[in-house]
Amino acid sequence: MENSATLATTLLVVLLFAGGVYALAVLEYWSVAGRLAWTRPVRLALKLLAREEIKPRQRDAVFYETAPVLLLAAGTLAAAVLPWSASAPLLSLATGALFVNAAFAYVMVALVLGGWSSNGAYAMIGGWRFLGQLLAYSMPMVMALTATVMRAESMVPVQIVLSQRGLWNIIYQPVGFGLFYLAALALAFLPPFDLPVAAGELAGGAWADFTGARRLVLRLGRLSLVMSLAVTITVFYLGGWQGSGLPGVVWTLLKTLLVAASFFGVGRYVSRVRYDLMLEWSWKYATPAALLNILWVGILLLL
Amino acid sequence: MNPLQLFFLAGFGLAAVWFGWRVFRTHSMVRSAMSLLACMVALGAMFLVLQAEFLGVLQIMMMAAEMSIMAFFMMMFMMDPGGLGNMNMTHQQKPATALSAAVAALVLALLLSTNWPAPLARVPTATQQNHDLGIELMTRSMMIFETAGTTILVAMIAAAATALVYPPQPD
Repeated sequence: MENSATLATTLLVVLLFAGGVYALAVLEYWSVAGRLAWTRPVRLALKLLAREEIKPRQRDAVFYETAPVLLLAAGTLAAAVLPWSASAPLLSLATGALFVNAAFAYVMVALVLGGWSSNGAYAMIGGWRFLGQLLAYSMPMVMALTATVMRAESMVPVQIVLSQRGLWNIIYQPVGFGLFYLAALALAFLPPFDLPVAAGELAGGAWADFTGARRLVLRLGRLSLVMSLAVTITVFYLGGWQGSGLPGVVWTLLKTLLVAASFFGVGRYVSRVRYDLMLEWSWKYATPAALLNILWVGILLLL
Repeated sequence: MNPLQLFFLAGFGLAAVWFGWRVFRTHSMVRSAMSLLACMVALGAMFLVLQAEFLGVLQIMMMAAEMSIMAFFMMMFMMDPGGLGNMNMTHQQKPATALSAAVAALVLALLLSTNWPAPLARVPTATQQNHDLGIELMTRSMMIFETAGTTILVAMIAAAATALVYPPQPD
């Protein structure tokens, strides 16, 4: 009984995640082209699988193969600890909030490795740019998450959702939400923070030299990452599965897709941010704002 | 400790040693740094096997950024933008070997001569460990951590301040 329930939960979460990723692929194209092409992801995947694999000369053989898989792993691992409903996290970790950060840290490793290993100037610059980007987004992100952990007095994601019973964190700590939202955009190198892979400027950047199946894995990894980040925002700021009328998982899915759609919408209307400005804003405004947010939540908790 | 735990502990330990050795066997800063990252992740996995969940996850998280940034800085200061400048990772081999052997012997001697307390019969739950760690950091160890934290922050600000060109020059 216990086992079959766990199996059902696992299947449900995996299916919802995979379906969400597919929907995101459609949404992303919609944000660029302005129309919903429902079969396009499948056709694109088949096309990439059938394409010739062109490998750069004198690449680093190990890292070139590792990078796409690592991106996919980093993008999906976080989803394992995020709950879709009160009973549906795949894995309940006492350090869930920290684990989410740990998984996302390897996105950067994957991109730096991918950019460096393919032995091309554009790719390498893209990889190093992502490293610079990391310095800008990682501190606000971790500190914004810390404030949600403070409110829940627990790092277990289920507890963090439960702590938002009366009031969602988006209202309780709006500064933290804003910072996390921007940091999430930067972490998933979505426009306006897409300098590491900037198509028009860097010829594809960090993954310029990946073709065929490896390219497919990279794209899939990026979409999984966007999906994981949207679930993270839903769980940590939008009250997770809470809502009336519909079952919990449906609420989570709806909120997640809404967040992801807003990601793509922002990218469509905001112009690309230069990375030196990003660093400057991060150290001058975002990090102090994150500290103030922690202070603000601390005061609210003590009141 | 059950046999399965021991197996994984030994496995990750050997992996850590292997990757630590690999650090010095390449000619590239990036490969070297990534080997060090793999070594540190193996150490983090050992914490996880020992049921120290917070420390394990923290170790695995921190090292990703730290090792990459280290690789980046090393390359910047070595004037080797690609990180493939075919450099030797081992220097002054004889003194270094002697020193390493001496330090290893010292550590081993300390390990063996310390009167370790008996292992806990039951490991506290991960939640309890987080709680205990937080209490420890906010009471007995507070001064140590605050001093270390402030020192690091001052060093970061000082490094950034000395690196800035002032007054700002137009590009």
